[in-house]
Amino acid sequence: MLRPRLNIQGSLSGMVVLLAAIPLLFVMLNSVQLPLDKWLGLWNTRLPSLFWNTLLLAALVVIGCFILGVSSAWLIARRQFRGRSVALWLMILPLAIPTYVFAYIYTSLMDVDGWLGSLWITLFGNAASIPDLYNVGGVALILALSGFPYVFLLTHSALLNSNPHMEEAARIHGASSREIFWRITAPLIRPAIAASLAMVTLHVLSDFGAVSMLRYQTFTLSIYLQMNGRFDYQSAAALSSILVMLALTFLVLERFFRSRQRYFSANQAKTWRIKHASKKELWIIWSWLGLISLFAFILPLAWMLTWSFEAVIAQTLGSEFWGYALNSLVIAIIAATVCIVAALPIGLFHTRFRSWLSNLFLQMSSTGFVLPGPVVALGVMTFFLTTLPALYGTLAALTIALVIRFLPLAVQSQEAALSQLTPSIEQASRVHGAGPLETLWRITLPMMRNGMVAAWVLVFIDALKELPATLLLRPIGFDTLPVRIWIEASEEMLEVAAPAALMLVISTIPALWIMLRSTRQST
Amino acid sequence: MLSSRIILTTTLLIVTGILSGIAQTAFARDETALVIYSGRSDKFVKPVIKLFSEKTGIKVILHTAKSTALLNKLRAEGPRTEADLYLSNDAGNLQIGADMGLFKAIPENIANVIPKNLRAPDNSWIGLSARSRVLVINTKSKNTHFIKSVFDLADPRLKGRLGITHSSNESFIAGTAVYLESKGEAKTRDWLEGINNNSDGEAFNKHSKIVAAVAKGRKDVGLVNHYYIYRHLDKSPDSPIRIVIPDQSPDSIGVAWNVAGIAISKYSKKVPQAQKLVEFLISTEGQKLFAQLNREYPTRKDAATAAEIAPLSTIKVADVPMSSLGRLRNKTLDMIEAVGLP
Repeated sequence: MLRPRLNIQGSLSGMVVLLAAIPLLFVMLNSVQLPLDKWLGLWNTRLPSLFWNTLLLAALVVIGCFILGVSSAWLIARRQFRGRSVALWLMILPLAIPTYVFAYIYTSLMDVDGWLGSLWITLFGNAASIPDLYNVGGVALILALSGFPYVFLLTHSALLNSNPHMEEAARIHGASSREIFWRITAPLIRPAIAASLAMVTLHVLSDFGAVSMLRYQTFTLSIYLQMNGRFDYQSAAALSSILVMLALTFLVLERFFRSRQRYFSANQAKTWRIKHASKKELWIIWSWLGLISLFAFILPLAWMLTWSFEAVIAQTLGSEFWGYALNSLVIAIIAATVCIVAALPIGLFHTRFRSWLSNLFLQMSSTGFVLPGPVVALGVMTFFLTTLPALYGTLAALTIALVIRFLPLAVQSQEAALSQLTPSIEQASRVHGAGPLETLWRITLPMMRNGMVAAWVLVFIDALKELPATLLLRPIGFDTLPVRIWIEASEEMLEVAAPAALMLVISTIPALWIMLRSTRQST
Repeated sequence: MLSSRIILTTTLLIVTGILSGIAQTAFARDETALVIYSGRSDKFVKPVIKLFSEKTGIKVILHTAKSTALLNKLRAEGPRTEADLYLSNDAGNLQIGADMGLFKAIPENIANVIPKNLRAPDNSWIGLSARSRVLVINTKSKNTHFIKSVFDLADPRLKGRLGITHSSNESFIAGTAVYLESKGEAKTRDWLEGINNNSDGEAFNKHSKIVAAVAKGRKDVGLVNHYYIYRHLDKSPDSPIRIVIPDQSPDSIGVAWNVAGIAISKYSKKVPQAQKLVEFLISTEGQKLFAQLNREYPTRKDAATAAEIAPLSTIKVADVPMSSLGRLRNKTLDMIEAVGLP
């Protein structure tokens, strides 16, 4: 740890962090106004069950994502088999489906006349025993299916980027495959797994769509209901502040355990010679990956296609539909671009001038992700109404809310990319007389290109799917696909909700392709 | 290498810049248009709005979301709001908005065509269409003939045979508020516990699914808004279901009722146009279209009701002013939560 230096990176990140802290300030200002007896009331009635519900859900989702994500990543990164690139796609495509769409599709599939529901009745002959999704198991299933691609992605790229020499050296020294995995591979990919599981946990804590569709009382849903059903901002803020503390504790712990291990790869050239899968292995690989993607992507996609087909036949798709799609794309592209630019100083400041201040900035930048979307939106809304009323109701306000919400995604991937770069190359550039900007432009950015691309794509995808902030802050008459899905789904207009969901998936594919291409180029 | 990087970066920045530019101009809305914060499904609002625009030349933009969320937005925006009108399916929300001082009273000479109990005491909102909480019963079910009142749904004989919505449903909350006001706290708590027991802790996420379940005999009785039954009968007219309008005997409370209504935002800068829209919505023509699109009851007595629904004159309605639904909201929510309905 160094003493903090307020250089250009420092001051820029300070400014970004200040912006990101708006919702947190809003929460703090409101929660201090809550009288003590109400705090005690919350403590005695709601909090225990909220803690239990939220933590239980997070734990189940983390376990689910770990199993699904790490197993699929290892199989795809370490075995060469027929259809490997298809498998890769199948594992990341669930990213394109928002949690509320997942929840909606699964409630409709598990319905008595849904596909899975009728299958269940055929198999077991009993409608009453169809598993209910309106409980922790159902929500955990939905969130694990939609969250495991994050674990897959980071673990997969860590497996590809780890230096093969280490495993080779271990093998030469007579280590068995199992020993190699536990003593070499596992420690090398542990930071990636930890980071991705942290991301999954944060998604769980702030998820609004699935929990509100499935009515599972987590902190986020309870906060939303306090705000919207009862107009009780102070209790909502109090619950939010507790949620933030919970999440920050978790983040600090995660970083503490991770900060002990850093690996710089001295040599960027990597050539993995990947084992070909045997017949038996091929069979196992495809049944496992097929099972995962059946539930995580193929079934939902089939549902969307079926209902979209109905919509085309019934001609329910007007010109408005294309307007929603365009709006979604516009706002997601703007938000992703602004976000990666805003995140850069924070990552640079933390990796190159590490100090307590950079650490503080890093933690503060993640508040938008930790706070429930509806709270972030309300905080940003209040900020604009009171200080920048001219911009209220414009796309700028919505963009800022989205940037605040997804800044941590960008910071995480950029920081991960930066910390794998040894600073010595930058130092060499400086020694040879290049200025800081030239070094950034010619050395740092190109070398962290994959991290930047990943950051852009991740933010783009999340912004494309974003619901609560868009609902509240969209300019008048500016409807996006998620907003329409939300409105139509509550009216059971499957013919409108399904094409919108399908359109979201289609819009995500080019972004995912860019990301995959950039990782492949580097290997 | 360097040049391709420059090209890529600049392209991205330029595209973003252009998009922002286009977005600001192309998405800039028509400033003369009326803005409605609408918590009602677009398909039931758009045809009426379209007719209004054709007649008057006044454009209207629907900003649709959940009623409560929009009310929250309206409150947070205060004088900065762009909303000219607020439309909700729930009188409770409308009255809460009125109590927060978000609305501008509609002149009595416009409002007086609507009965007093279907609008706010100070005319800060006006009911446009009404719906009743009725029972749907499978005609082949056994032992359901004793059901005459909503309170019979708590009868243990219906164990496992009752379909209800999730307790967060605004119609469910409003109905419960009416029972609470008519029958008192103790009786309503018993009722909530009874129906919780009879529904086996299972709740439907949509009213339409309750009707479907009753039609298939999976459940014998359901508590729903009346129009869901007609929607189901549209698709399958031979379904073995009958409608029971509960609590009609002389000593009962009458069927619970809720209205969808409209209010003019206090900070609207287009009050004359907004009033024109309200006037249109409560004209006989507007009323007929607005209510019949969803087969609700027009709040204006002389407007035609959809042919298939029971005429209003034959129904006894619970004597609870719609404006009291707002006051009862939090108490009702507390009771529902305490009983632990799903």
